[in-house]
Amino acid sequence: MEVLSVRNLGKIYKGAVSHEALSNINLSIEEGDFVGIMGPSGSGKTTLLNMISTIDRPTSGEIRIGEQDPFRLSEEQLAMFRRRELGFVFQSFNLLNTLTVKENILLPLALDGIALDEMERRVQSLAEKLDIVSILNKRTYEISGGQAQRTAVARAMIHGPKLILADEPTGNLDSKSARDVMEMMDRRNKEDQATMLLVTHDAVAASYCNRVIFIKDGQLYNEITRGDSQPAFYQKIINVLSLLGGEGHEFSPIRR
Amino acid sequence: MNFRQFAVNNVLRSKRTYIAHFLSSAFSVMIFFVYGLLAFHPQIEDGIGASSGTLSMLGTMGMNVAQYIVYIFSFFFLLYSVGAFIKIRKKEFGILLILGMSRKQLNRMLFIENMLIGMAAIVVGLGTGLLFAKLILLISAKVMAVDNGLPFYFPLKALVITAVSYSILFLLIAGFSSVMLRKGTLLALVKAEDAPKPQPKASPWLALLALLLIVTGYGMVMVFSVLQIFSFLLLLGGVVLVIGGTYFLFTQFSVYLMRYLQNKKPFFFRRTNLLTISELIYRMKDNAVMFFLVSVISASAFTGIGTTLAIGDPGLSAMENPYAYTYSYYEEEADRGKKDLEIVRQELDKAGFAYREGSVTPAYSDNGIKVIKLSEYNMLVESQGYPAETLGEDEGILTPGTVTEKNNYRINGLTFSEMEIDAGNEKVAVDVIKAETFIAVPDSYGVMLVVSDSLYDWVAASEEYSSSTYHTFFVPDWKDTGEVTRTIMNRMNESGEYSYYLKSLYLQWKGALQQNGILLIVSGLVGIVFFTFAASFVYFRLYTDLARDEQQYRMIAKVGLSRRELRTIVTRQLVMMFFLPMLVALIHTVVAFVGLQQLVDFSIVGHSVNIFIFFLGLQIVYFLVTRWRYLNRMYHIIQ
Repeated sequence: MEVLSVRNLGKIYKGAVSHEALSNINLSIEEGDFVGIMGPSGSGKTTLLNMISTIDRPTSGEIRIGEQDPFRLSEEQLAMFRRRELGFVFQSFNLLNTLTVKENILLPLALDGIALDEMERRVQSLAEKLDIVSILNKRTYEISGGQAQRTAVARAMIHGPKLILADEPTGNLDSKSARDVMEMMDRRNKEDQATMLLVTHDAVAASYCNRVIFIKDGQLYNEITRGDSQPAFYQKIINVLSLLGGEGHEFSPIRR
Repeated sequence: MNFRQFAVNNVLRSKRTYIAHFLSSAFSVMIFFVYGLLAFHPQIEDGIGASSGTLSMLGTMGMNVAQYIVYIFSFFFLLYSVGAFIKIRKKEFGILLILGMSRKQLNRMLFIENMLIGMAAIVVGLGTGLLFAKLILLISAKVMAVDNGLPFYFPLKALVITAVSYSILFLLIAGFSSVMLRKGTLLALVKAEDAPKPQPKASPWLALLALLLIVTGYGMVMVFSVLQIFSFLLLLGGVVLVIGGTYFLFTQFSVYLMRYLQNKKPFFFRRTNLLTISELIYRMKDNAVMFFLVSVISASAFTGIGTTLAIGDPGLSAMENPYAYTYSYYEEEADRGKKDLEIVRQELDKAGFAYREGSVTPAYSDNGIKVIKLSEYNMLVESQGYPAETLGEDEGILTPGTVTEKNNYRINGLTFSEMEIDAGNEKVAVDVIKAETFIAVPDSYGVMLVVSDSLYDWVAASEEYSSSTYHTFFVPDWKDTGEVTRTIMNRMNESGEYSYYLKSLYLQWKGALQQNGILLIVSGLVGIVFFTFAASFVYFRLYTDLARDEQQYRMIAKVGLSRRELRTIVTRQLVMMFFLPMLVALIHTVVAFVGLQQLVDFSIVGHSVNIFIFFLGLQIVYFLVTRWRYLNRMYHIIQ
C-alpha cells in the first residue's frame, strides 16, 4: 500500500528575490519502506521534509499521506492527523524537559486521551525494544544524547503512525550512539513494518535505508537502492555524493 | 499522565522559571489584601479614633485608590511576564503542535498553567497576609497615630474581595495568554530559537534627542516649581518628555556608548572587556526595554513615597499655626467667649503649662484689605517670642496668614512700597515698610496689613459688619497638651456647643499625623509593590537568557576562563542590570525633589535620602542573592 505520494511538488519562497526551493518533485513510499533523502546544504531536502511534515505549505503540487491530503484539512483535523498518522524525530531531540522520559514517550497518547493502562502497556513494550527501560523515570537532562534520541524515536512510534519522519536524527550524536539509534530504527522497520523517511547528511546513517534519494538544487538528482550488503551501499552513497558536486570531500571515503 | 497532569507538571517541574512571577503575584495579592484589611477595619470604618470624619473618609478612599492602582499595575505586570514566558517557550509550543496537539488543547494547557499559578498566588498571598495581619494592624495603628490601637479582627470581607478580584484578574490573564500565541505559524514557532537577534539600530539624531528630551523635561519641571507657574500641562509635559527621553537614552544612546567602547581597541581587547562588552551589545535591545521599564517604575516609586513623606512632615502643622489654641468669637458673643477663655486658662494653670496670650480683631477696609491693629499685633508676636514693632502714622507691615503667602514673602520680599486703604469714602496711602516672614495671625486668607492703632480705629469705625476676635494661647510645650485639650473641650461642651470655636494645635497635629500615616501606608505599599515588579523584570531578563548563557560560558570555559574571570564578567553585567536603571531613576528623583523643595519651607533632603537608602539596601541584597545563585549555576556548568 502506498503510504506517501508526492506529485509535482514545488515550493517558491517569495521575497525581494523569489527563490525556488523545490520544483517538480515526485516521490512514492510504500508501507514498510525505509527511505533516506540526501543532498548538499541548501538543496531543499529540509523544505521537502517540512512539507511532508505538514508544517510548511507547498506552492504547487500535491502531497497525500495514506490517501489523505493534509492541506485540505481544517486546523483541528490537521492536529488530529499529525497526532495519529505521523511520528517525528528531530536532530536536536526536542524532548520536553519538564517531563520524564516515560511521560515524553506517552505524550501523543495522552493528548489523544488513551486509557492509562493501555499507555503503560505500550510504553513498556516499546521501551524494551529500544533498550531504554532503565531510564524511563529519569528527566531529560539526566540522559545521554543517544538515549535522548532513542526516547524521541519511541515517542515517534508509540501511537503506531503511518509514517515516521526523521530530520538528521544522527546529527547531534557521536558515531557510536548514531549507529545504535540507526540500528534501533532499522530493526523497528524490519520487525514492526514501520514506514520511515529520513533526511540526513550522514552517509553511515543513510546506509541503513532501503533506498536513498538524492536532491540537488531543488530537483531529484538520483536514486539508489540497497542490495544485500550495507558496506557496498555505503560506498555507493559516497560515490553519488562525490558526483553531486564539489562536496565529495565532505565525506570520508574510508568507512567508519 | 492525563492532560491535566501534563499541564500541572509543566509548572511544578519548572519552578525556577515561574518563581519570580509567582512571588510577585503573591506579593501583590498580599498588598491588595492589606489595603482591604485596613479599609474594612471596623475602627477605621467608624472613623479613626473618632478624631474626625473627613480623616476616616480619606483613609478609606486612599486605601481604595491604592487598591485600584495595585490591581491595574498587577494586570500589566502579569501580562508582561506571561508574554515573556510565552516567548521563552515558543519552541516548546511548536514541538507540541507538531506532535499533534490541537490549538484548543494548547490554549487549555496555557489556561490550566496560568490558573494554577494564579490560584497558588492567591492562596499564598492571602495566607501570608492573614499570618501577619496582627503585626500589620499594630504597625498601622502606630503609623496612623490611632490612640487606642487597631485590634485584630477576622477580615472576611477583605479576604473575599481579594480572592474574587484576583481570580478575575488571573482569568483575564489566562485568556490573554492564548490570544498572544495565536499569531505565528508553526514553522516560525519551531524555528523561534534559531532566529538570531538583530543588532539594534541607532541613529545619532535619536541619541541626541534622548538627551534633549530629558533636559527639556527637567527644565519644564523646574519652571513649574521655581517660577511657580502652576500649570498641570507643564508638569505633565515635563514628565512625558523625561519618560520619552529615558526610552531613547537606553535604546539609542547606550548603543552609541557601546560602539564607542568597541572601537577603542586597546580597551575593548583588554582581558575580559571583550566578553563583557560584546555580551552587553548582544543583549542591548532586550536590556534597553527592561532598563527603561525599571527606571521609570522605580523613579515613580521613589518620587511618590518621597512626596508623601514630605507632606507628612510634623513641621508642617506648626508651620501653619504657631498657637496651641486659637479661640474665635463674634462681637455679640463676647460674654460666652470670656467664660470659655477662662476655662482654658484654668485648665492650663491646673496642668502646669506655661502660656502667653494674645488677641486680635481684624478690620476690613472697603477695598478688601485686612487691617491689623499694631498693639494687638505686638501682643501676638511677643507671645511667640519675637520683638515688638513700631510704626509711624502712615506706615504698615505686610503679615502672612498662610504658608504659601509666607513663602511668597520670603522668596520675593516686598514687591511694592505703597498700599491704598479705602474706608468710609476716604482713601489713605500707607507706606509698606516690610513683609514679615513668620505667621502671626494664622488661618487667614487675603492681604493682611499691620497698621498704627489710629489708622486701624478709623477703618474699624467705618466697618458695617460685626467683627470677630481671635484669642490665641502660645504654649511652648504644645505637643503634650493632649490630655488637657480633651478636658477643656469637655468642659466647654458642658456649657454649650462651643468647643467648635476652639482650635487646638495638638488635635490639628494629631489629625495631620493620621492623614500622613494613611498617605504613607497608601503610597509606601504601592511603592514597594512597584519596586517588587521592577525587581521581577530584572529576574525575567536574566532567566530568559539563562540557557544561552550556560551554553556561552561552557564554550568560553573550554577556551580557558578561570572562575575569577567568570565572576568578574558576571558581576559587571549584573551590576549594570541592577544599578544602571536605579541610577537613572535616582537622577530623575533628585530633579523631582529639587523641584519639590522649592515648593515647601522645610528641608526634604532627609526624607529623600532615607527612601533612597532603603531601596538601595533592598536592591543590594537582591543583587547579592542573584549573583550568588547565578554564579553557582555557572560554576557548575564550567567545571
